[in-house]
Amino acid sequence: MLIRIVGGRVLDPANHRDEIGDLWLEGERVVAAPAHGRADETFDASGCVVMAGAIDIHSHIAGANVNTARLLLPEQHRAHAARPAGTPLSNAGWSTFETGKLYAQMGFTTVVEPAVSPHNALHAHLELADTPVIDKAILAILGNDDFGLSLMRDGAGPAAIRDHVAWTLQSSKALGIKVINAGGVAAFKDNVRAFSFDDVVPHYGMSSRQIVKTLQRAVADLGVPHPLHIHCNNLGLPGNFETALATIAAAEDLPLHLAHLQFYGYGREGKLGFSSAAPKLAEAVNAAKNVTIDVGQAMFGQTVTISSDVLRQFSARGQAHPNKYVIIDGDANGGGMLPYKYKSGAFANAVQFAVGLELFLLIEDPGQVFFTTDHPNGAPFTTYPEIFALLMSRDLRDQWLEKLPAEALAVTTLRGLRREYTWAEIAVMTRAAPARLLGLRDRGHLGVGARADVAIYRPGPDLAATFRHAERVYKDGDCVVREGVLTHYRFGRALRVAPEPDAAMTRRLDAYYDSRYGLDAGLLSVPETALPREPFETVACQS
Amino acid sequence: MTEETIGAAIDDRPAVAWIDGAPVVFEEAVAQAERLIRASSLPVFAHLGADVEGAREAVLLAEFVGGVLDHAASTALLRDLDPIRETGGMLTTPLEAAVRADVVLLVGAVAAPDWVSRPARPYDADIPRRTLRLGEGAALLSRLAALRARVKRRPVASAPAGLEEQAETLRDARFGVAIWDAAELEALAVEAIHGLVRDLNETTRFSTASAPARDNGVGVQTVCGWMTGFPLRTGFGRGQPEHDPWRHDSRRLIASGEADCVIWVSTFEGGAAPSQAVDIALCAAGAQIDARVRFAVARPGLDCDTILHDNAAGALVARKAAAASSAPTAAATLAAIRARLETPPC
Repeated sequence: MLIRIVGGRVLDPANHRDEIGDLWLEGERVVAAPAHGRADETFDASGCVVMAGAIDIHSHIAGANVNTARLLLPEQHRAHAARPAGTPLSNAGWSTFETGKLYAQMGFTTVVEPAVSPHNALHAHLELADTPVIDKAILAILGNDDFGLSLMRDGAGPAAIRDHVAWTLQSSKALGIKVINAGGVAAFKDNVRAFSFDDVVPHYGMSSRQIVKTLQRAVADLGVPHPLHIHCNNLGLPGNFETALATIAAAEDLPLHLAHLQFYGYGREGKLGFSSAAPKLAEAVNAAKNVTIDVGQAMFGQTVTISSDVLRQFSARGQAHPNKYVIIDGDANGGGMLPYKYKSGAFANAVQFAVGLELFLLIEDPGQVFFTTDHPNGAPFTTYPEIFALLMSRDLRDQWLEKLPAEALAVTTLRGLRREYTWAEIAVMTRAAPARLLGLRDRGHLGVGARADVAIYRPGPDLAATFRHAERVYKDGDCVVREGVLTHYRFGRALRVAPEPDAAMTRRLDAYYDSRYGLDAGLLSVPETALPREPFETVACQS
Repeated sequence: MTEETIGAAIDDRPAVAWIDGAPVVFEEAVAQAERLIRASSLPVFAHLGADVEGAREAVLLAEFVGGVLDHAASTALLRDLDPIRETGGMLTTPLEAAVRADVVLLVGAVAAPDWVSRPARPYDADIPRRTLRLGEGAALLSRLAALRARVKRRPVASAPAGLEEQAETLRDARFGVAIWDAAELEALAVEAIHGLVRDLNETTRFSTASAPARDNGVGVQTVCGWMTGFPLRTGFGRGQPEHDPWRHDSRRLIASGEADCVIWVSTFEGGAAPSQAVDIALCAAGAQIDARVRFAVARPGLDCDTILHDNAAGALVARKAAAASSAPTAAATLAAIRARLETPPC
């Protein structure tokens, strides 16, 4: 089937293309215009913007912690309609099926679940396999597991650390490695209640800084395309911008990705000792080309925070709304699930909202700042359309700011920021740059040979509506969304890297699992063939 | 007798399907099951002792036919879940409990896990474990309340023997773990344990690890969670998933006659049989069960590869079949019924 998308504004920054023109798809790929010029199907995209499918690098959409939050909060996700014919369970609130539908309708075709404890990797993959349309991937969590910490303590050396990281990526079938409050979660099991970058994990003698740098080096040495993905210490605390700055400085010249930087953008200024430090962070990011960040924008409304930073979630338990929480001391990171309501009239929440937008607007290179809400921690991913609109319209921002407490805005610079994102910058931030960051060579662009993941938007006066309901979305060349509505399911792939495991490390882990748990290490691994509905696709490591 | 049943009788392989007790080929039984479900106004999927794939197919079929999903262990599962979704809780995994717990609080008659007799070893040295049991039946609630009070050093009207020592042991824990079996505790006791553990965490570390439900109850609840947003006792009678522990209690629906088609799924060894005849049964071979349509399905992990909640690991795990057989899986059987239902009758 040869599909011609005709007359739209084809916006493909990875290939330096921004013009009114045609795009041809055949099978699962973008193809060159055929000499005969005849298409089996033509879509008139006049007046539309044609982009590659969007890629979300950080969204908690699946796995044990997410599912615990579902069960914790039955009141937050009633189903809203009966079974639609072509898409079973897609109206079941917060089901994996609804997640896939809503992402697809916004033009997203690849989403990364960024926090999976290796022992729960199979669970996460099973949920992702039931998330229709989109391709997906997980990041496996290290940095608080006893095996890894004991390797570091015992001075096992870079090769052994690298072998353990490779084993974890293989065992979990993950695309990359994330570290969450490195050492702090392990320390919390020993009743440590505060943990900063240079604090030391009891029994292991390793500081958070040492753990981060050790893992960062191992990930880079393995050639994993996605750099170490780090959730810093001290999330949410006043003055924590210093932790983020220290982490950025510690990266030296190696690549590093800082997750949801908004949650680290807090100073101690102002009457209430809580202020925006976004300009300082943005300045550091602008100066550090080896660093990428995603924002974790906060938006107003009810949500639930889902985090494997167990120490932070426990410390924040008094802020739960409604007043209930689950804290799980897991085999390594575990998780904390706390419902939370961001209120536009609340000083702190208004500052958080501003910090996120300041980061978006003050970081100059849209290839360095990634579009996330840390779903659902800053806000559910369903708020993305409003955020796109806020980035693209200073008038809309001004309208929102009128409703926020003036004393909150006074400790931020947001009011003075007049930048408006262009469509081309949106395309870089949500397509070209994330594909590059994850090492996905055939995604995030529309060049010949690219995967035929295409999102077509019809810009109207209401930009949020434009982004909420794409005019058309093609996944692997299959038109799954028409006029903003998902018409049928198809199921995607799980993207992962597959570095060669080391036989000696495999034996060592087998012995460790046997002596520590009395279990076969393989029992907690994801088998190659466990997921008939979701084939794995291997993303190449750099040699 | 139809041609198909004659075919079944002359085949060498053991029969896998029966209608009214007579062996039939699989497809004929699927067709009969489809007719029973199509004619039903409230199909109820009961027992649901199935692996992840079996549970997935049960949810998909239940949504398609407007049915109700319940599990043999729902009462216990909800007894554990209710206090958490009301007020929250601190949980840990069986592996972490075994490695780390220096104090083990056993509540009720729950069997002590094997590891309790060994020392904890969270790092590189053994730590002796101390074990307490609160198990005085009717007095349990007041004992829990008194213990909670003394843990916070609040006065109690009358202190039962040993109370002070127990409170001190709990307060002195480095990483304690409370263990119980919700199948035999009352709901208030579970809530009281969570309250006690919450209080203990103000000064030290303490968590909980309740005994896992039978028949892959945790696994089935997990699947139901990601597919519908809700735990078990969820029904699709009005088209969308609705969770209601009373309305969707399969025992009540069967006893009251509201359920006019009972689909009984019990694929594990030793799964209980229903107390009365059911309409459609998917059970391990050899199960004594009276059903209008019966399938002898593969036992997960024995006759077929499987994914289910592993009680020792505390996670979903994949297991290979011990000796793969040709018996249909529960998942394949439910999928075959759904495929027929999705095809409009000609």
